[in-house]
Amino acid sequence: MVEIIGAYQVSLITTMGISVILALSLNLITGFCGQISLGHAAFIGAGAYGAAMLTTAGWPFAAGLAAGTAIAAVLGLVVGLASLRVRHDFLAITTMGVGFLFLGVVRQQEWLGGEMGISSIPDAGLGKGGYMVLVVLIAAAIALFSVHLKRSWMGYAFDAIADDEDTARMVGVDAARYKLTAFAMGTGLAGLGGGLYAHDVKFIAPDSFGFIESITILSMVVIGGIGPVWGVIVAAAVLSVLPFWFQFIEEYKLLLYGGLLFAVMRFSPGGLAGFVAGFVAKHKRRRAAAP
Amino acid sequence: MLAFELFMQGLVQGSIYALIAVGLTLVYGLLRILHVAHAGLFTLGGYIGVLVTNATGSLALALLTAMIAVGFVGMALYRFCYQPILDRPPYVALIASIGLFIAMEEIFRIIFGPYGLSYTAPPLQAPIILLGMNLKAAEILTMVGALILIGGLGVLAGRTRTGIAWRATVKDPQMAESFGIDIVKVRYLNFFIGSALAAAAGVMVALLNNLVEPTMGSVPSYKALAIIVLGGLGNVRGTLIASLALGVIESFGTIYLGFLLDRDAIAFAFLILVLMIRPQGLVGRSNG
Amino acid sequence: MTALSNTAGLLEISGVTVRFGGVTALDDVSFAVNEGELLGLIGPNGAGKTTLLRAITGVITPGGGSIRLAGRDITGLPIHARVRLGLGLSQQLVRPLRSMTVIENVALAAGHARTLSPLAALMVRERSAERESALKFLDMVGIAEVADGQPANLPLGTLKRLEVARALALEPRLLLLDEPLAGLNHVEAARMADTIAALNKDGLTVILIEHNLSEVLRVCSRLVVLDNGRRIGEGEPRAVMADATVRAAYLGREAGDAAA
Repeated sequence: MVEIIGAYQVSLITTMGISVILALSLNLITGFCGQISLGHAAFIGAGAYGAAMLTTAGWPFAAGLAAGTAIAAVLGLVVGLASLRVRHDFLAITTMGVGFLFLGVVRQQEWLGGEMGISSIPDAGLGKGGYMVLVVLIAAAIALFSVHLKRSWMGYAFDAIADDEDTARMVGVDAARYKLTAFAMGTGLAGLGGGLYAHDVKFIAPDSFGFIESITILSMVVIGGIGPVWGVIVAAAVLSVLPFWFQFIEEYKLLLYGGLLFAVMRFSPGGLAGFVAGFVAKHKRRRAAAP
Repeated sequence: MLAFELFMQGLVQGSIYALIAVGLTLVYGLLRILHVAHAGLFTLGGYIGVLVTNATGSLALALLTAMIAVGFVGMALYRFCYQPILDRPPYVALIASIGLFIAMEEIFRIIFGPYGLSYTAPPLQAPIILLGMNLKAAEILTMVGALILIGGLGVLAGRTRTGIAWRATVKDPQMAESFGIDIVKVRYLNFFIGSALAAAAGVMVALLNNLVEPTMGSVPSYKALAIIVLGGLGNVRGTLIASLALGVIESFGTIYLGFLLDRDAIAFAFLILVLMIRPQGLVGRSNG
Repeated sequence: MTALSNTAGLLEISGVTVRFGGVTALDDVSFAVNEGELLGLIGPNGAGKTTLLRAITGVITPGGGSIRLAGRDITGLPIHARVRLGLGLSQQLVRPLRSMTVIENVALAAGHARTLSPLAALMVRERSAERESALKFLDMVGIAEVADGQPANLPLGTLKRLEVARALALEPRLLLLDEPLAGLNHVEAARMADTIAALNKDGLTVILIEHNLSEVLRVCSRLVVLDNGRRIGEGEPRAVMADATVRAAYLGREAGDAAA
């Protein structure tokens, strides 16, 4: 694989795939179920630390990855349970707090490497090309799962909760259980993405999972349109590789993310997907109006 | 003695939190927006403070300039960033504000460089012995300044016609409008005052640390969000109490909880704990 | 007709008390709703009707007393669990899901068996049966022609009927209607009242909270009257309205309303 497309492209596609996984995982919580989260990086971090600690201790890669996923999902369930008591703005701040709390705890733990983090994480043993294929396959599977979920009755109930939780309850939807399900699935997949990230870069530290990381993932979801699967995939893929393509962007990456986040909310809250839908509708109208 | 010193340190820090958080809670009370970019104005205030002091040698002039200039920037933020999206769901303004804040930090970094600025001749560094404690004049200024500014705000809100119109608008915008209060004017005033207070906090932090840097707003901004939730969103008195309490708790926590958590996580541990017990905040909401 | 409230009913309200701060909104209210009846719950403004309804659906928890549905104590259950046990509610203030079309609003309710468990819900994508039955309920309340409309573009009268259709789609054992006629014109109100009476005739038990007394007297088989949070009357409509206490409660404060 590496021989065919080149080492640079392989690492590019791997980065892209991991970003897509992370953005889709947040999209389950924020896009589908309507629960804003400003602390997603905590779960990415939980999965990354979990997987890296275990493989460094000698576990096989797959087992470490699975355990990291489970750790993140359990943490997500706990946070989800706590979050059931708060809504909207309170939820936003609570999840943000979870992010800071995660960092604050990890930084002080010697057995987790403290500020220095964990280095020389073992290789997955698949080769660079094989690893890329694995990441892309997982990203594709999550994308297909997302599309299926959206069309299933679970997606239907999520729509109702995102729209108006009280009304959802009035039609018999157990909003608490559905929200917990969304949290567990989304945070578990974030943990999976985190584990893949750790074994891609081979080094993790608390700073890799800070507030900015949470916002980076959120901006992918927001710019994609908050919900639409393809919009989120495109946004995640493009935003994650822009800094690679244009060296000068690396320097101004955060300005770009921040500026885009603001601009999308200010001018096109439907994001990429909303923008395209609006464009298509306009085009159709024009065609219909033409004689 | 250590306890007393920790307590005083906590009050100094708490005063800074209070100056930042009051503006934030005022904006929330009026518009139901979590104005994260508020911390960008705090940083801007710090930069203006250092630049003007270095240019003129007058800290008083620098403080005044920072407060007025940042006040106007705050009004502009309202006009161009928030006003057009007020009718959208609340997360829209929140995410826009986070984006704005990150962009502001980056703009500071690009204009002023990543390493920050210092005073060429740091003012008010002289030690003052108070109650047997060694405090810097700047620390005293911070506490006294915060007291004066917030006291002034209290007088404005409680004793003047403008203040009464303001409070009426926070309580019930529709009712206020039907009484002929110009609520748009009230919003501008609200942003001006809140932003000016944040700028004052920025100048004071610059003084305490003899440093301003692009990211100096990050931690205070998120912490201020935690504080206004603890204070009961929109509740000024609650916010003041929560600010001072957090300053003191952190001050002690750094010594006694340091093995478990770093300083900046204490606020959120406290926040999450409180929200689990009282989802409406420590003091409860004054309205809404 | 004798006092029916002593026999065991589908819904039994016993000694329900609700206080907000220092105000007693409901004071020791008891009555029962029998299987198959159309009960009118009336009273002047502020009598506590909506508070009682909210206690029945679980929006608020009463400070005292108990509520039993089909013999089961539901006082402490959350809203969705009560819905699952057979309560259907049409609210006074319409709350359609605005991100969905009219038929999707109703089909979601019709799929209450599908949404019972999140994991089971994940396995199924098929919605056509639920859409079909949703269309049936929309037709029943007379708004089938706007099935694909967006709630944001529809008038209040239509949204009121959407609320009723959505409650019906839950296939409830007991339907609670909070002012379904409010905001409708004379003809619409009469038609809606007829629909409710017809549903009741087909075997559905209904509690109707309504200010429109002429329609209430026309369709209800029994009335419960609240005033100041207390039950002040109960029984056959004409007898209840002739009762001195009830007349005083209405004529004393709301002569205009009662005459309407």
